[in-house]
Amino acid sequence: MSAPLLAARGLDYRYPGGIVALRALDLSVERGRKLVILGANGSGKTTLLLHLNGTFRPARGAIWLDGQPVAYDRRSLVRWRCRVGLVLQEPDDQLFAATVEQDVSFGPLNLGLPEPVVRERVIEVLEALQITPLARRATHTLSFGQKKRVAIAGVLAMRPEILVLDEPTAGLDARGVTRLLDALQKLHEAGTTLVFSTHDVELAYAWADDIALFHEGAVRVQGEAAAVLRDREAMEQSRLRPPLLLEVADLLGAGQSGAPTPRSRESVVALLRRRLAGPASPVPAAVTVEHSRHR
Amino acid sequence: MRAIDHHAWSNRWSDRHPAEKLVPALGLLGVALVSPPLTTAPLVWVVAVFATVFGAGVPLRALLGMLAAPALFLLAGAPFLAVSLDFTEGFALRFSPEGAHLALAATLRALAAVSCLAFLALTTPVVDWAPLLRRIKVPAGVVELILLVYRLIFVFAERAVTGRRAQAARLGYSRFGHGLRSLALLAGGLFQRGLEQARRMEIGLTARSYTGELRVLRAEQPFSWGRLALGLLGVGLVGTTSGLLARALP
Ligand SMILES: Nc1ncnc2c1ncn2[C@@H]1O[C@H](COP(=O)(O)OP(=O)(O)O)[C@@H](O)[C@H]1O
Ligand SMILES: [Mg+2]
Repeated sequence: MSAPLLAARGLDYRYPGGIVALRALDLSVERGRKLVILGANGSGKTTLLLHLNGTFRPARGAIWLDGQPVAYDRRSLVRWRCRVGLVLQEPDDQLFAATVEQDVSFGPLNLGLPEPVVRERVIEVLEALQITPLARRATHTLSFGQKKRVAIAGVLAMRPEILVLDEPTAGLDARGVTRLLDALQKLHEAGTTLVFSTHDVELAYAWADDIALFHEGAVRVQGEAAAVLRDREAMEQSRLRPPLLLEVADLLGAGQSGAPTPRSRESVVALLRRRLAGPASPVPAAVTVEHSRHR
Repeated sequence: MRAIDHHAWSNRWSDRHPAEKLVPALGLLGVALVSPPLTTAPLVWVVAVFATVFGAGVPLRALLGMLAAPALFLLAGAPFLAVSLDFTEGFALRFSPEGAHLALAATLRALAAVSCLAFLALTTPVVDWAPLLRRIKVPAGVVELILLVYRLIFVFAERAVTGRRAQAARLGYSRFGHGLRSLALLAGGLFQRGLEQARRMEIGLTARSYTGELRVLRAEQPFSWGRLALGLLGVGLVGTTSGLLARALP
């Protein structure tokens, strides 16, 4: 097996003041996959993401890119950050320019691209995130959801191979989440590797290819999404409940037949409807009891 | 501040090149300052208001709201210019015709000048001044700082408003003493969060390869000599009309 695109090996990090945020953390980001870093509040997700683009330097361990540990000298950091784009949770921490267009142009200009190319990229990125009409707007006149998309556009304009987002859906309404996920899906299809952190298990289940389950500053398990979410022991230890959709799908026996587990609300509802209508195999009573005891 | 900013961004002339607005406005201001005020100032005032309301489409209410504060200030001060203290026979407060004339002239002139500046403030976003500042050789760092502060003002204003609301919801302003304490806490909290914000913003900027220079694209605002000439023509008209009026009236 080839080396992962981006990996963390044995990271230790403590904040000044002695709070241990990461301990012996391992993580792999595979090319072209959608990885969700799932963990409760305060479990260390943000701290990890800040390591992934070299903002923080671990006390022990290293970050690996293409199978090579990365160095922290100026030139390596610049190259690193061109490849790994980080979007912070709070858009106001990132948007500094007075207008949308200006803010988005900041990253590409720092890459040393000529102005006409930068102008093209700005137009292209705003288009991709469906915020073209906002180009000339003042940053402070935007809604939270719009700011969030502008913040993403600003990083995307640098064309990173890996896009890392910290709790991208936090604070968005249902429609905002859908639009954001659609935009991310397009990026994924265009070949960008995506990593995002969340504490929302339903979201992780709906969206992730792989999940890294976080607990007290370390990744407890990492693997294919449904498999990780079915790991009851690990989930409980991370103080997370399995997603409702997965539980229902499992109760309906979706996981056993070898067919892929339905991920979307619609497909689970359709499955449920078929079961309720048809005289097909009844829901096994034993499974129901076992599951309900766990709640 | 928020209202002014809102109109600066949303008026009909906000995309025009700033020089097309700056040069005529300063011209008009110059006319108001050098010509005899009794005839010129009202004319300048009317032209500035017309340009703001009918030209740029800024609501009259917004303009009057902005002019209200300086107008009140000037009107309150005018009576003191019109009277003079007379110490020749003891002590008397005397109304003097020259004083009255002076007061009227000063007030009209100041109002006219303020309306020219209001026109600029309401039609041109702060951001547009940056290229002009650079052109007149203000150091790049200073211009960047102005723009960054401009952006941060709104971030902090938002925090201050929500912070105050949260305090009020917990009865922080129910009594005068409580109010003072709450305000002090809010100010202290904002300062601390300001530092924190600066730290996180640096992280955000570094993620986009920030190397100590805040370089961004400048919006393309095609400059039109035609529009500038039109503006200057208007100023010239005001100047000549006021000159003719001054000659016609004694
Ligand atoms: N700037 C900081 N200084 C000290 N401790 C911090 C700081 N930021 C986070 N922590 C601590 O580090 C731990 C992990 O935080 P964080 O990475 O923000 O978690 P998450 O993003 O999963 O909510 C928490 O215990 C938090 O209190
Ligand atoms: Mg976090």
